[in-house]
Order: sequence, then C-alpha cells, then structure tokens
Amino acid sequence: MRIGMPHMGNLYIPFKALFQRLNIDFVIPPLNNQRTLSLGVRHSPEGMCIPFKLTLGNLIEATELGADTLLMPAGSGICRLGYYAKTQEQILHDLGYNIAMVSVGVSQRKLFGLLEMIKRLSNNAPWSKIISAFRFGLAKLNAMDRIERAVQKIRPVERIKGTANKLFAKAIKAIDQADDYNTLKKVQINCIDQLNQVTKVSKAQPLVVGIIGEFYVLLEPFSNLDVESELGKLGVEVRRTTFVSEWTKFSLFLNPLGMNEKDRIHKAALPYLKRDIGGDGWESVGEKVLHATEYDGLIHLAPFTCMPEIVAQNIMPSTKENIPVLTILCDEQIAKPGMLTRLEAFVDLLEHRRRAQSNSLRREHGSLSGH
Amino acid sequence: MEAYLGIDVGSVTTKFAVLNESDELVTHVYLPTEGKPIDMVQQGLKQIKQQLPKGVDIRGVATTGSARYLAGVIMGADLVKNEITSHAVGALRYFPEGQTIIEIGGQDSKIIIIRDGIVTDFGMNTVCAAGTGSFLDHQALRLNMSIKEFSQRALDSTTPVRIAGRCTVFAESDMIHKQQMGHRIEDILYGLCQALVRNYLNNVGLGKDIQSPIIFQGGVAFNQGIVKAIQEELGSEVIVPPHHEVMGAIGAALLVHEEMAHSHEGSKFKGFGISEIKYHTSSFECQACPSLCEIAQLSLNGQVLARWGGRCDLWERSPTS
Repeated sequence: MRIGMPHMGNLYIPFKALFQRLNIDFVIPPLNNQRTLSLGVRHSPEGMCIPFKLTLGNLIEATELGADTLLMPAGSGICRLGYYAKTQEQILHDLGYNIAMVSVGVSQRKLFGLLEMIKRLSNNAPWSKIISAFRFGLAKLNAMDRIERAVQKIRPVERIKGTANKLFAKAIKAIDQADDYNTLKKVQINCIDQLNQVTKVSKAQPLVVGIIGEFYVLLEPFSNLDVESELGKLGVEVRRTTFVSEWTKFSLFLNPLGMNEKDRIHKAALPYLKRDIGGDGWESVGEKVLHATEYDGLIHLAPFTCMPEIVAQNIMPSTKENIPVLTILCDEQIAKPGMLTRLEAFVDLLEHRRRAQSNSLRREHGSLSGH
Repeated sequence: MEAYLGIDVGSVTTKFAVLNESDELVTHVYLPTEGKPIDMVQQGLKQIKQQLPKGVDIRGVATTGSARYLAGVIMGADLVKNEITSHAVGALRYFPEGQTIIEIGGQDSKIIIIRDGIVTDFGMNTVCAAGTGSFLDHQALRLNMSIKEFSQRALDSTTPVRIAGRCTVFAESDMIHKQQMGHRIEDILYGLCQALVRNYLNNVGLGKDIQSPIIFQGGVAFNQGIVKAIQEELGSEVIVPPHHEVMGAIGAALLVHEEMAHSHEGSKFKGFGISEIKYHTSSFECQACPSLCEIAQLSLNGQVLARWGGRCDLWERSPTS
C-alpha cells in the first residue's frame, strides 16, 4: 500500500512527518503546477471548481508515482467538496487507474476519526506511537503557520521585494528536514529573527487588507495566483484568520470541548444570513462584518462556480458595516495581468479612502478644538 | 512651457495626452494599437512631437492601459498606473460631481463608483467581452458599414428588435436570424445596442450602486446608439465628456503631474528620440519548474531591458539592478 494525497499549500510537510514516523509508504506528487492543472482540467467536468480540478491533478500525478491508496477529504456539512472523493474515484477508475480512495471525514468525529484512519493506514501501530507522530506533524504545521504570519508582516515593508518569500521558502525546507522538536524550534526562532532583521522601507503605516473566502483558494497560492505576495509587493499588509493550524486547533481539539471560534463569526453574520449555507459562505459574511472597522479593505477569494461564496458575495454589499471588498473568482481562466490591474486599482481606492478619512477626522478635530 | 505626458496603451487603441502646467489639454493622439504596442508608442510619440509647440519641456510621463509596463520601460515613465484609477482621475477633473463612471473600451468595460470625489467601488468585465468596442467594430464590418454609420443608423430605429445579448456569438447569430426574417437594419442595430447595454449592466454593473451624474467615456462612447440605450435603460441622463476617448491618458498625465510636484528628482523620460530606436521583443519558456511560464522580454542592442510573464519572480527582477 502506497499513500498519495492532494496538495494544499505546504500541508504535505506535516503529513510527511507523520507518515515517516509510522513507517507508512507514501509519495508526494509535484507541487501544483501547470501540468497538474491541465491534467485536472482535462479530466474534470467543465463546471467543477478549481479545488476539484487541482486535487484531481494531484491525485493523477500521485498515481503516476505509484500511489495506490489515495486520501481525499470528504463528508457532509462542508459543500459539494464532500462528494469529490467519490467523484474523483470514479474518474480515476474510468481512466484505468487501479486505486482505492480513502475518504477522510473532516466533519465527523473530528480528531478521533482522523486518528482511527491513521491507525488503519499504519497497519495497526500502537496508539502511543500514533499520537507521538501526530503531535510532531502538528508541531511542524504550527511552526510553518507562525512563520507565515511573520512573513505577512514583512512583505509590505521589506526594502528588497522578495526577501521575506526567500526566507520563508528556506524555512519551509528546513522544517521539512527537521527530525526533532529541538531543531524545529531553532528553525522557527532563526527564521523569525532573520525576518525581523530584514531592511525595511520607512513607510508610516501600510494599508491592511484582510483575506476572506473559501478555505482551499485561501490556502493554496497556486490557485489564487499568489495574491498575498502580490499585495505585499504593492506595500499592503495581509491578514487572514484562516490557517490550517487554526482549523486543527478548533476543529480537532476545541470544538469537541464546546469551544467554537466560529460562533463569534456566525453571530456577526446573523443579521444578514441566519444559517450555514455550506462551504465557508456564512464565515465570509461574518468576517466582513467583524473586520469592517479593523482593516482598510477586504479581498474575498472564491472558486468560480462556488455557490456558498457567490451567495456571500451578493449579501456583502448590503451589510451596514461598510468596508471595500474586492471579490476575485479563481479558476483556470484567471489571468495574472487582469488580477494585478484590479489589485492596483483596489489599493489606490483604499489609499484615497484612508486619506479622505484622516482629512475629515482632522477637520472634525480642528473644529472641536476651535482652530 | 512645462508639460506632462500621459499614454494609455490599450488592447485596441493607443492614446496620448499632453497637459500643460494648469492641467489643460494641449494636444492628443488616438491610434489603433493593431497588436504592435511598441510601434504605436513610437509612432504616437512622433506625432505628439510634431503637434507640440516649440520649447515644450516634458516634466513627467505616465503610462496606463494593459501595456502600461511595456510602454513604461520604453518611455522611461515616472509613473505606471492602472487604467481604472487613471480613468477615474481623468473624469473627475472635468466633472468633480460625478458619481458613476461607465467606461467601455476596445476589449474591456469598467464601472467606477464615486462618492464625494473618491472611488468607493469598481468592477471590470471578467469572462465576457460582449458590448466592448471590438465586437461593435466586428458587427459594423460584417454589415459593411463604418462604425460612424452604425452609430447614426441605430438612432433611426423605430421598433427595435430583441437581440440575445448574453454572449457575442449568440448575439451575432441572433442578428443574422433577424436580418433573414426581414427586419429593418436600423432596428437590428439599435436592438443590438440595447442588448449590449443590458449585458453590461447585468455583468459589470451587477450589485453596483449606480447614481447620477453618470459619466460615459472610452471609445464606445462615440456610438450614439449605445449612449441612447444606456440613458433609456438607466432612465437617466449620461454625460459624455469632451475627449472621452483619451480620458485614461489624461488621467495618467494628471497623476504624474501630482507625483512630480512632490518629487525632488527630474523626469526619467527618455526623450522623443526613442521613436527612432529599434527595440527587439522575444519570448522563451522557463524550464526552472513544471509550470513552464512563457517569459517575454524586451531588449535593445542585445541588452535586456525588462522581462514579464512568470508566475514567480525568477525573471522579473529589473535587469538594470
């Protein structure tokens, strides 16, 4: 049995650590690239979303490397992604690949379901070993996300564009190679140190843009044409609530204990959307409301044909909490020049808006103090 | 005389505008791009030079439009600005009270929402070019008439026919069908204008808060049929500003004027002499990863001036640094 699974950002690194420690045979397909996309597009129905097409491409490329057991998230309560494992299994069988698809239920039984699946894959390894391997994988995930948060802060202010991305890539490689907690910690401290030492431009306060929308396109830079780095180049600081480590923290550990970070987001959305509509649509509306006063603007990322996000997109303009939102629909047709034009115009809009607001504040303040 | 030059290199046309120290339009040039942006920038520059009075000192150059980076490198631009901001700035110079800008160009159409003189929202066509200038040109050509004649005859319509405007391909077959049925050409032309305006408002204008005063600019604003159809559909007067076809270039020139007022350095403009230089463009496929990006490069005498087109920054660093 050789395991293969689709990519989402750098998520292969924690899984690799987990599999290695449990002596599970696995392959890592090439990171998302043009070929992955072409394969996925060729074998998918036209109207499927970009997450379907890219993950199908990954699974085909994993099979080419000898994988015979494929992992794919599934389950009810998310969106049509819940059926993707089944659909993709059918497509792969029709293509003549002799594979077994293992659906990873991300919505049911949470942590315990996941651990049980790992136990099966590891040919019944002892629980102690499974938990220790799982913990180590999680430590890698947390280290990567902590570094990424720091990178988000440096990108807009670095003097030489691309420096933070280079340090990030180096750190990701080192995290991948780290064999123990000590090394992992060192890598993390080193990288954050180096990031803090990057020469910065003297710019008073960069614009802050929140990134909201569908989980996969937020976390897979290939699918969103690296929108965060592009915003960084334009001198904009990016903030995002969605990180895999946040998701695991809540969905695997805290939710079963009754703590739900999303309650706050859902509550904010309530006046405009009273229920879950699948995917992350409810969250997108809630995040818009919550961040309206915190950030200068929001970028809303959605896969083309994503029903929940399209519903959210059409609700957003009518909230009384007002903040500029730019929706970017991600699919294989999206072209970088068109996206850059919109990003540049959006950043101009935010800059003018901030200037106008500070002018009117100054006027109010001026009239109050009698000048 | 001190002057500022704005250049808008779009997919279908290339526009030049020169403003004086008081931001008044001194001269402008409007050329078809014909898929040769470099040649057209050079040719336009030559024409601008001939049209300008003697002793004009270009104090700043800005480029905009889809070839803004390419044109920026060739010109030595002081500012490279996206066309959405440029159009808004241009329109607001003439109509500061404007609240909505409709801009329809050769291949893209935009809507810009303005409140209290600042842009608050915008939209741009994504997947569909229906209703843009190229399609109208194509239909005029097919009916063997100039775009000017198209515009005039559309106004003579008495009972416009309904044309399916969701997609240009279907719009065209629908038009042919209506011709074969024996409808008057004037009614078909105006029916097409109405269909394209509905398409624009349902796609680009979807969810946008369209308020008067409405400014309509870009090359398509020459078309009286479209102007009339927009007014009917919105139930409101629209203003077509003078020089609406070069408004992006005017906006770019206004922006570079402002920029240079705050700058301590002189303009990087390479001078009118560049219209005589032979630039060389080429492209190659990057083999560094499986993405196989197509990298385009611009060179002069064997020295690479700029590169574009990668998903990553491998080739994009400025070759001069």
